[in-house]
This record gives sequence, C-alpha cells and structure tokens, in this order.
Amino acid sequence: MKMDTPADIKRMKSSLLSNIRRSAYVYRVDCGGCNGCEIEIFAAITPIFDAERFGIKVVASPRHADILLFTGAVTRAMRMPALRAYEAAPDPKIVVSYGACGCSGGIFHDLYCVWGGTDQVVPVDVYIPGCPPTPPATIYGFAVALGLLDQKLKAKTHIEGEGEQAGIAHPAVPYNVRIHIEREARRMAGYRQGRDIADRFLGMLQIPGDLPLQQRVETFAAAETDPRLAEIYLQIGETLQHPELRP
Amino acid sequence: MFKLLKEVFRTGEATVKYPFAPLEISKDFRGKPEHTAEQCIACGACTIACPANALAMETDVAAGTRTWSISYARCIFCARCEEVCPTQAIKLTPDFELAVTNKADLTVKAVFKLADCVCCGEPFAPAKEIAYVTALIEATSVTSADGTTAAVSEDTERRRRMLATCPSCKRVNDLVQIARITDQQEKRR
Repeated sequence: MKMDTPADIKRMKSSLLSNIRRSAYVYRVDCGGCNGCEIEIFAAITPIFDAERFGIKVVASPRHADILLFTGAVTRAMRMPALRAYEAAPDPKIVVSYGACGCSGGIFHDLYCVWGGTDQVVPVDVYIPGCPPTPPATIYGFAVALGLLDQKLKAKTHIEGEGEQAGIAHPAVPYNVRIHIEREARRMAGYRQGRDIADRFLGMLQIPGDLPLQQRVETFAAAETDPRLAEIYLQIGETLQHPELRP
Repeated sequence: MFKLLKEVFRTGEATVKYPFAPLEISKDFRGKPEHTAEQCIACGACTIACPANALAMETDVAAGTRTWSISYARCIFCARCEEVCPTQAIKLTPDFELAVTNKADLTVKAVFKLADCVCCGEPFAPAKEIAYVTALIEATSVTSADGTTAAVSEDTERRRRMLATCPSCKRVNDLVQIARITDQQEKRR
C-alpha cells in the first residue's frame, strides 16, 4: 500500500514524535554553507554537550535518518543534491533548517546563485537561527523538533503609543563632556566595550559629592580590579582637564 | 586500570546539565538582540549598519508610519546595531533559545509615527526622532544660554520650527531668505 499523501505524512510524523522509542537519527545535509554550522553540530555531540545522551545520533546516510539537518543557504549547485537527500530519507522525516543561512539565506540572502533558505526547496518543520547556532542552541532546537520543549519566541508588533518619548542618557552631564567621554572610551577600548566603559564613567560623575574631579576619578580607578579599565578611567579623567571642557 | 579509574574520578563529569538546568553563559555572549521600542527613535542607524539586512525599515507615507523590523532568522549576532544605536534601544541579550516551528515567529516589528513638515504638511521624519533631537538641543542650550527669557524663548521657538521643517522646505526657505537679503542690499545702494 502506498502512503504518501500529505495527510498520511502528517499522521505518521505525529506518531513518530509521540512513539519514538529509539534514537533519533540525524543526517546532516550541507547545501552550500561555510562549514561553521557543521563545526557546531559536531561540537554538540562532543562529551561537553553530548547530544547522544538524548539518543540523537549523526548518521552517514539519509536512508537511516529521521531528522534531516539542512545547513547553508542552498546554492544553485547544491540544490539538486539537497533534494536527492530529502527524497532518499524515509517518511516520516523531520526537516530542520539550521543556522542563519538555512533559515533565510542569512548574510548571503541576496547573492545571485543562492536560493535563500531551506524552505525554498523543501518543507521545513523547525528553524534554528544563529550564525552559527551554539551547541546548547542546537540541543534546544532538537528538543523543539522532537516535541520535548516548546518554542519561546513569539512574533510581536509594537505600535507607538501616545506621548512616547526616548530618554536622554545621563542628562546631568553637559553634552560636550558626555560626547568627549564616549568618544575617548570608544577610541581606547573599541566600540562596544567603549560604550559600557563610558556609561560606568558617566554614572560615577553623576554621583553627588564635593570631591574634586581628579580625586573622584582616582578613587574610582583604584576600586576597579581590571588594570586595563583602571588605566582607561585615569586617561579619560586626564583628558577632562582640557580647558575647553571646563564648565 | 586503577590509575585510569583514579583519573576518571578526579576529572568528574564533563557534560553540562543544559536542557534540565540553566546553562552558564559567559559575560559577553552575543545572543538574541532585544529591541526596546519605547527607547527607539526610528533613526535607521541600525538598519544601515546591519551587514545581513536582518534589520529593515519601511516607510509608508500614505499611512504616515515607519515600520522597523528584525528577522532573527537572518541575524548573525554581530552586535553592530548595539554599537551604533544612539539611544541604546537595541541590546544583545544572553538568550540563545531561538528555535521555532513557525518562521513568522522569528520577526519582531515596531511601528512609529511620522511627523508632518510644518511648512508643506508632508510626512518626512519619525516624530520621536524630532522630539529627541529637540530635547537634546534644548538641554544643551539651557546650560549655555544666558540672555533674557524673551529672547531665549523666541530663539527656542525658531529652532523648534526649523527642526520640524522638511529638507526641501528648508531649501525653499533659505532661497526666500537669501532673496530678501539681496533685495535689502540693493535698496541700500
């Protein structure tokens, strides 16, 4: 008897999820990825994360697979091999789209030879975003695919409310001083860390007190355990002595 | 044999307890970008910085709205958006559990209103952005201004009007002003 109508497949898939009493075999289909995702999949089956304790096993042939893991943005050359792997896997099969490229084409979404995501060629059951997804994210994705955990993300739309206004950070510090501190911190520590450092420094400036600036900066830097941060604080404090920044 | 067992007991268990217990995450882990829409001014800096075009901004002039959106499916978690955001509205959180069964759940949107130009009445910029810039400039000028209150309020009013004017109207206004100045110079001769 032939059973391949969509309704049959859906019924079989639900029975696979509820009655699976053995290992879930995973076959990894690389359709034009950068190999970052593959490295993370193999990191997920190392002793630290050990996906095999849940019976998740990577196999070498799509004919053994219950779960197909598609990585990569589906390039023109890898489209047919990906489809062949999909056809070769026995029904019912769960298709997992892995990584930013698999979910939507990722950073390669507008390349000329890229189909842009696994869902352009095969029906996908679970999406695991990430570039690449970390091993814990991979394990979570498998748990969602096998129906053990529920998804956490929900689509949401914020509509601007009446009288909604963005606040200004550290309004008590004069504008030019604020800009100067942020610029100096970012110059010394890089863009992302620089902002955190500037935030901490400006927070310190806003604490009320009647100590002179030089002493305040010195006590603040002395309380810092990281010598690199302490030096950055001292240097920012030094540049604040510039006559143009004096109130 | 005994040596090996000793080594095994000394090492202990290496496997993390992850799905059953929360995972320990390092300090600067870059996970899901969280957008605080109340703090966002819809300036579009993040959409320009985003290398993967996961962040997008669409302007609907007819409805007078601008829609900001992020697709976690396309995001590569580089934190460029966090770096460039002027109001710290977008921040990367340590949240990594992003797997979904429905692709639509990977998109988060925020709709902002556009402000109309005071001269021509056409929508030209997000209302929140103009309000933020006005507040920023006024906070600066309060600390530096030391004139009579009447002059200050007149100055503020003029500045507010200029900020709420669209670029093309500004150009036209400039031309009118230049024409008036040259006219006066002509008369003086």
